[in-house]
Amino acid sequence: MAAGTSTTPHHVMVIDTNRCVGCWTCAVGCKEVNNEPLGYWWNRVLTTAPNQSTSAKKPASENIDVPWGEYPNVEMSYLPVACQHCNDAPCVKVCPVQATFRRDDGTVLVDYERCIGCRYCIAACPYGVRVFNWGGGEYAPGGVVGYGKDYRTDGHLVFEPERPKGVVEKCTFCVERIDVGEQPFCVEVCPLGARVFGDLNDPASEVSQLVNEGGAVQLLAELGTEPNVYYVPTRRRVMTET
Amino acid sequence: MASQSVAVTVPAPGWGRRLGVPAWYAALGAACAFGLAAWIYELEKGLASTGMRDVVSWGLYIFTFAFFIGLSAGGLIMASSSEVFGIKALRPLARMGVLSAAGCVAVAALMIIPDLGQPFRVTNILVHPNWTSPLVWDILIISIYFVFSVVDLAVLHRRARQPGRSRQVARVLAYIGLPTAVLLHSVTAWIFGLQIARTWWNTALMAPLFVVSAILSGTALVTLVALAAERWAGFHLAPATRRWLRGLVTVTLLIDLFFVGSDYITMLWGNVPADRSALNLVLPGGAWSWVFWLEWVVGGLVPLAFLVVPRLRQLPGSLGTASFLVLVGVYAFRVELVVIGFVNPLLQYPPGNALGTYSPATPSFQLVGRYSPTWVEYGIVIGLMALFALVMTAGYQWLALGRAETPVEAEEPSGADS
Ligand code: SF4
Ligand code: SF4
Repeated sequence: MAAGTSTTPHHVMVIDTNRCVGCWTCAVGCKEVNNEPLGYWWNRVLTTAPNQSTSAKKPASENIDVPWGEYPNVEMSYLPVACQHCNDAPCVKVCPVQATFRRDDGTVLVDYERCIGCRYCIAACPYGVRVFNWGGGEYAPGGVVGYGKDYRTDGHLVFEPERPKGVVEKCTFCVERIDVGEQPFCVEVCPLGARVFGDLNDPASEVSQLVNEGGAVQLLAELGTEPNVYYVPTRRRVMTET
Repeated sequence: MASQSVAVTVPAPGWGRRLGVPAWYAALGAACAFGLAAWIYELEKGLASTGMRDVVSWGLYIFTFAFFIGLSAGGLIMASSSEVFGIKALRPLARMGVLSAAGCVAVAALMIIPDLGQPFRVTNILVHPNWTSPLVWDILIISIYFVFSVVDLAVLHRRARQPGRSRQVARVLAYIGLPTAVLLHSVTAWIFGLQIARTWWNTALMAPLFVVSAILSGTALVTLVALAAERWAGFHLAPATRRWLRGLVTVTLLIDLFFVGSDYITMLWGNVPADRSALNLVLPGGAWSWVFWLEWVVGGLVPLAFLVVPRLRQLPGSLGTASFLVLVGVYAFRVELVVIGFVNPLLQYPPGNALGTYSPATPSFQLVGRYSPTWVEYGIVIGLMALFALVMTAGYQWLALGRAETPVEAEEPSGADS
C-alpha cells in the first residue's frame, strides 16, 4: 500500500472489546439509522468469553448475557458483529451479477437494484452478517426513521430507506455518512467509545495506532478474507471475592 | 456379450386404448397447475412464505435443484458410454436416457427461479456476469448441457428411424457428452465445495462425490423409467441391459457410500470442533439423524441387499425397489449436504443470527438453525416434478420409444466390442 501518497482512504473500524459492555446501543442505533424492519439485525452484539474460539466450546446458553463456563469459574465478554468489509470478500466473489461489490476504500456494498436474491452471498459469508428481505419487512409504527433518502455511489443504489423485498442487505459502514466525513452511526452512538473508525492509510490515525500497535486482530483471520473490521482482544480480568 | 439378446423389436400396444393415459395426463396437469398457483402466491408474499430464513437460507428448492442436476447425468452418461465404451446392452436405453437428461436439467434450471427473491431480474446474469462466481459457470454449463441433450436426442432419434444415418454425428456427440456431464456435476458441486465459510461443504471430495452420486441416481431413474415403460407402455428390457443397470447401480452406490463415509471418518478422527458439531447433527442422536438413516439404511444398505444378496435379487421387483430406494438415499444426501452447512453455527456465540422476520412471542434469533419447508415449497416442487413426468410421458410417446428399438447389429456391424 502506498502509505501517505494514496488519496483514497482505506476505511477500517476497530472495536475495543475491553470497553464493550454489551448494551446493544450500536445494534439498535444501526436499526434506527437504516430503518431496519422488525426481526432484521445488520449489527448484533454476541455474548462470548475472552479468547473464546468461534466454535471450540458450546456456550452455556443460547441467550445473551449468560456467562460461559460453570460457576464459580465463569467468564463473559462481548463481540459486536456486523459486516467485516472483507478485502478479499467471499460474498463479492460469489455474487453472480456483481450486485455485491467492493469500493476502493474497502467498503463492501450491495446494489439493491441489481441483486437477484439468489442468497449465494449468505451461503458464502463466513461471518453470517447478511440479511435477506424475505417479505418486504414489517416496520415498527411511526414511519421511516433514520437517514431516510436513497443513496448512490458510482451509480449503484446502495441505500434506500425501505429496501425492496427479495434483495439482500447488510451493514454499509454508513456509506452515506462516511462519504461526507461523518462517522458510522454505531461509532457515534456507542456510549463507551468502544468503536473507532478511520483511515488506515493515515499512519497517524487512531485506527492505525490500534491496528499497528494496539494488537487489534481480525475475526477468523485464518480464512484470509482480510476484514476491515478489527477487534482489540479482551484482557482477562479476574474478579475476586470481597 | 451376446449381441442378439440386445436387439429387440416389440410392437407397442396402442396408447389410445389405454384408459389410464388421459387420467395420468390430467393428474400431472393438475399438479403442475397447483405448483404454478403456489409460485404466484410466493411472488405475492415474497420468500417469507417459505420456511427459509437468514440462518437456513437455502432449502427444498436447492435440495431439489441439486437432485435433478444429478438425475440428469445418468441418462446421458449411459447413452454416451454405450458409444464411447461400446456397451451395446445400454444402447436401447440411449434415447430414453437422453430424454430424461434433457427433462431433468430443464426442471433443475426452472427450480432456481422460485428460489430467487427477484426472479424477473434473472437476466442480470447475462448482462453483468461475475466470472468468479461458480453460479455463473453453473448456469452456463446447464444451458450447454440442455442444448446438447436436445440435439443429441434429435440425432439419436433420426438414427433410430433411419438406421445407418447420423452414425458419425452420434459418435462425436457421445464423446462430447461424457466430459460435459462430468463438468456439469463438478461445477454444481463447486457451488458448495469452494466455499471456505462452511467446513461442511469445503471438501475437495465434493466434485467426485457429485459425479458418482449423479451416475448413481441417474441410472436408478432411467431404470425406473424403463421398468415403468416396460410395464405400461410396451417397452422391452433385455436381460443383458438389466444386468448392466444392476451392476452400474451397485458399483456407484458402493463408491458413493465410500466417499461419504470417508468424509465422515476425516471429520470424526480430526475432531475439529466446527466439523464435529456439524457431523453430530447428522449422526444418530442429532437433530437431522433421520437424514442419516435414509441415506445409509433406507437408501444404502437395503437397496444394496436387493442388488447383491442372491435370495433377494431374484425377487421380481428387486431392481425397481432398489432403484427407488437409491433415489430416496441420494435425495437424503442432498438434504444433508445443504442443510447441515447452514444449521451448523458459523460463530458459535449467542444469540446467533437474526431470522429476518418477526413474529410475536418467538425469538428473532437462532444459534443452531432450524428449517422445515412450507406448503408453498412443497407445492412448487411437486408441480415441477409433475412437469418432469409430463415431459417424460409426452416425449416417450412422441419419440415412439416403445415402438421399435432398432436392432443394434443392423446398424453397426463393426461396432466396438468390449
Ligand atoms: S463479512 Fe461477509 S458480507 Fe461482509 S464483506 Fe465479508 S464476506 Fe461479505
Ligand atoms: S443475493 Fe444478491 S447480492 Fe447476494 S449473491 Fe445473490 S445477487 Fe448477489
